[in-house]
Amino acid sequence: MSEFTPTIGIEVHVEVKSKSKLFSNSANTYGMATNTAVNVIDLGYPGTLPTINKEVIRQGVRACKVLNCDITRKMHFDRKNYFYPDNPKNYQITQNRTPIGRNGYVEIEVDGIKKKIEIEEMHIEEDTCKSAHRGSVSLLDFNRAGVPLIEIVTKPCISNSKEAMAYLTKLKELLFYANISDCKMEEGSMRCDSNVSISKDDTFGTKTEIKNISSIHNVGLAIDYEIKRQEEMLNNGEIIKEETRRFDDKQGKTILMRVKETGNDYRYFIEPDIPYLELTDEFINDSLSTLPLLPDELREKYSRVGLSSLQIEKLINNRSLNDYFLGLLSYKTNYVTAVNLLLSDISSYLNRHNKVITDTHLSYEKLVSVIEALETRDLSNKNVKDLIDSLMETDKTLDELKKEFNIENITDDNFIKDIITKVIDNNPDSVNDYKSGHDRALKYLMGQVMKETKGAVNPKMASDMLCDALNK
Amino acid sequence: MDKLSREEVLHVAHLARISLTEEEIEKFRGELKVLMDDIDKIKNVKDVDDEIMYTPIDFNARLRDDVVGAMLSAKDATLNAPAKNGSFIEVPVMINE
Repeated sequence: MSEFTPTIGIEVHVEVKSKSKLFSNSANTYGMATNTAVNVIDLGYPGTLPTINKEVIRQGVRACKVLNCDITRKMHFDRKNYFYPDNPKNYQITQNRTPIGRNGYVEIEVDGIKKKIEIEEMHIEEDTCKSAHRGSVSLLDFNRAGVPLIEIVTKPCISNSKEAMAYLTKLKELLFYANISDCKMEEGSMRCDSNVSISKDDTFGTKTEIKNISSIHNVGLAIDYEIKRQEEMLNNGEIIKEETRRFDDKQGKTILMRVKETGNDYRYFIEPDIPYLELTDEFINDSLSTLPLLPDELREKYSRVGLSSLQIEKLINNRSLNDYFLGLLSYKTNYVTAVNLLLSDISSYLNRHNKVITDTHLSYEKLVSVIEALETRDLSNKNVKDLIDSLMETDKTLDELKKEFNIENITDDNFIKDIITKVIDNNPDSVNDYKSGHDRALKYLMGQVMKETKGAVNPKMASDMLCDALNK
Repeated sequence: MDKLSREEVLHVAHLARISLTEEEIEKFRGELKVLMDDIDKIKNVKDVDDEIMYTPIDFNARLRDDVVGAMLSAKDATLNAPAKNGSFIEVPVMINE
């Protein structure tokens, strides 16, 4: 056990979903050709004026609600001054003194223990352009310049890498479900910086900041490495300097980038080109009226309709299936069977064809009829596998498809009786096992009946008749 | 003191990512001091206690509808750049690793 206690704070930047940028009306999209989603405002031309995108403020209000923050009713923007080629204005427009949200929290659970990770503040700001460093030059793409960001800053209340990872996982889930951000770390729409310090007592040690870590897993590795590095330094009598580091995932190490500039060096002042902004009750209520159900609300709802926690987590992890399933809840059907189908045959079809469920012809009515047929054993699981492509790709009803695929179940008593007699005669050992109380033998014999009939008999009818024959 | 210290000038030069000659350092010790004195005068203006001084303009910001407008081509976007590389704007690298 180490004699040092780590203290961790996390800053997360998420790109906000909107059609246009924060202060200009050029497109807020990822993947466009270099320097084509730009206009003169994004390029910082003299004489241009920023105007605030209403949707970004609405998203900020939603983020406040989702992260339990107090909403700042009267706010302004500030200039953060610095020299760097990623921002030709030489300042970034951000919110320094009046962040849109304050005093929030995200509840996490680690090893069965619940904890509230406190959010100090969250603010809206513009992204910079993207720089790619090539030897002695950097190549700039301004498509990202002016993309709206929300920065979420926790208090230094995280104790270890597990808590940090749980916080980021929960934050990502919340912002994704609230449609505020895609939160794709691999595309940079969610970026994470961690501040790490260690101390032997209640005072904070000198912190180092680890910038732009590319995955939640790497955040855990980077924090663990940094705690160990700082412990070794202090044990060797060295002094920790306030500095910015990056995580090299190949080497599994944090590496020095630069010694930190202090907040004072940015010379923040109020952005004079944007008047203050006061949010009305009407604006806030209107923004919140479009918030969808959040993961914890979904968990509760799904638990009430009988889904297992495993089914619930799998469903929540698949946004499009989850949204589809939510719609299904207005139909009366067996939801457990529905989720089983969604997570097995339907998911497998979607993965095979690289589609999302809304791209298919699987109407709720059709899915409900499949579930009913499975319940009454008019359809076997094998039948579903045979029909799945047609169910997903055509508007034909289940009855029409059954006829087309010639999978009307055989309900001829005599035919089934003959098959059962044959199976019993050919499997005397299993029959004896069944009679000695081994229930698994019944499943084996039933499997043989289905094999003989190539799955064409009504399974419930065949099962009942097999039991009768065996119990004679 | 009517001049900044040499260290203060070098700190500002570092923030601006520029290097200065000895002659320039000496020159800016005087010139920057004048600027800093003016900034200090502004800093001494007392903030109104509760109301933040948002802006000289006393009206709520107009919010723009979230609609995409006209954008530049890559050719136009890079037209005024001193150097370019394909559709990218090229600048001297500014990181030390």
